[in-house]
Amino acid sequence: MKLLYQILWKDHSRTHLLFAFLGTLAGFVLLLSGIQFYIDIKSVLSENRDLLDPEYIVINKQVNLGQTLGLSRAGFSQEEIEEISQQDFADQVAPFLSNEFPVSGYTENERFPDFYTELFFEAIPDEFIDVKSEQWVWDEEEGKIPVIIPQDYLNLYNFGFAPSQGLPQIPKGVLSMINFRIRLQGRGMYDDYDGQIVGFSNRIHSILVPLDFLTWANEKYGYFEKSNPSQLIVVSKDPTDPSIIRFLEEKGYDTIREKLKSSRMNIILKLIISFLVVVAAIIIGLAFLVFLLSLQLMISRSSDKIRRLNKLGFHFREISKPYVLLLLALMAAVTAFSLIITSLLAGKFHTMAQEWSLNTSPSLHGLLFGVALGLIALISMANITAILISTKKLCK
Amino acid sequence: MIFRFEKMIPLPLLEQDTEGSEVWEAESLLLEQGKAYVVEAASGRGKTSLLSVMYGIRKDYRGEVFLDNRNINSFGWKDWSVLRKTKLSFIFQGLELFDDLTAQENIQLKNRITDHVTRQRIVELAQAMDMEPYLHRKAGILSFGQQQRVAIIRALVQPFDFLLADECFSHMDKENTLKAYHLIRQECDDRKAGLVLTSLNETALPDIDVKLNL
Repeated sequence: MKLLYQILWKDHSRTHLLFAFLGTLAGFVLLLSGIQFYIDIKSVLSENRDLLDPEYIVINKQVNLGQTLGLSRAGFSQEEIEEISQQDFADQVAPFLSNEFPVSGYTENERFPDFYTELFFEAIPDEFIDVKSEQWVWDEEEGKIPVIIPQDYLNLYNFGFAPSQGLPQIPKGVLSMINFRIRLQGRGMYDDYDGQIVGFSNRIHSILVPLDFLTWANEKYGYFEKSNPSQLIVVSKDPTDPSIIRFLEEKGYDTIREKLKSSRMNIILKLIISFLVVVAAIIIGLAFLVFLLSLQLMISRSSDKIRRLNKLGFHFREISKPYVLLLLALMAAVTAFSLIITSLLAGKFHTMAQEWSLNTSPSLHGLLFGVALGLIALISMANITAILISTKKLCK
Repeated sequence: MIFRFEKMIPLPLLEQDTEGSEVWEAESLLLEQGKAYVVEAASGRGKTSLLSVMYGIRKDYRGEVFLDNRNINSFGWKDWSVLRKTKLSFIFQGLELFDDLTAQENIQLKNRITDHVTRQRIVELAQAMDMEPYLHRKAGILSFGQQQRVAIIRALVQPFDFLLADECFSHMDKENTLKAYHLIRQECDDRKAGLVLTSLNETALPDIDVKLNL
């Protein structure tokens, strides 16, 4: 019925519809590009993470005054460890085992100045340690204790302590060659063992010995009261997961924040994207209202004609058709244009990102089509309902 | 198709003196398909209201109206739409033409609902009323008498069992009135349809079956 369209389309307001169209288009472009870039950046973040190992996060409780005064100790109870291991971000959790007897180390070497210090040991399962060494084994027969110290300790000595005290700097290799003695004592006995530094860890800030050695030694010499582990090591395959930081903050646990940079970035990214989405939603909402009102205005301007058509035998569904068609045409245009514009933006973003050797998608993510079509369907349905209601009102 | 009115009276007429009316005062009134009725009355006696009730565009009345024994107040918009497309045709006193469309387009608008007649037939109908030269003019610039004839042709391009004509000759001279009347009668006879024609009683029309005074 070309004539029907001719009659009813005559009363449209071009400016109203144009503004509604542009507004919806702007909202859609904002929303879709927000989602597109979010997916891109998220994949860039996780790609970078793939280059590294899964993140090893050492967490401990914050020390408070009560602990300083010896009223309590900042250890993790079994339930707390259980709770952490049930978090999504935690793939593996292991407690640090500590020595439960006094340990000291000293040198017996003419080439080195005499040296004595009290020590502590900690142990975790081997798979959590970043140093792989053939010497990292404990053999009771041989009686040689392999030790891993943090790289930072050596750096502190070489670049801080040694120059200021006029002492020689020691390279890693030499330190590994130094034999020193380790005295374990407890339960009314003491034994001296050979100790050797077999590696330097960048991951764990503690003096490590093999787990089976410490278990054995605690059994033999240990007499301290058993205490809860003060540190835990957590392996997370996805350190970008913002829930890590949220969980730690909520529980008051401490860790080296640097390692969780990507988690923090993710939170900021999410904030920005949510802001974008909210702005886009407001724009789309307003544009939707303008659409609704322009169509209603069009209908009310044509109300005489609609009544007349109804008298001639047209029923309201037939009369609504031109309005519905106009709406659908505009909505289809919004979908098409917003997807085209967003894909152009994605292309630009892709070229820019390549200059920083970041890999973003040059084409639109499938999700965008779903979001665009879903929203369009929603807006169209609401508008069509409004059109049907107001034309029906005019018909008898 | 039979209309049956049972003490039907439009609400606005309740306040008026309707004594002697053969419609509003009738216990039961039948309008039958195949007969030609003329309803005569002065202005304001409810001629248009009667036709509007029959056509379903007025529902403010007391009493009851049956169409083939179905109470018309049970009809929904779908029923009325079907009736207006295939059973009832109306020549409106206010014409209800679209000024922006040509005479022919106004007629086609109606014709395309049912595709009842060919384009050629429309031209023939126009010729019968001396309207052919005006078919391509916008309805808005035709004289009222010419517009009335367009409205009459439009009412004839659909199937119907009843033609309701509301003072459709009011702006025509006697010659044109009779031409139009004969065309209408011819079309009604072809369809074996009923005719209800309201008039102010200016021109005497031949071959009327029933005359009703409102």
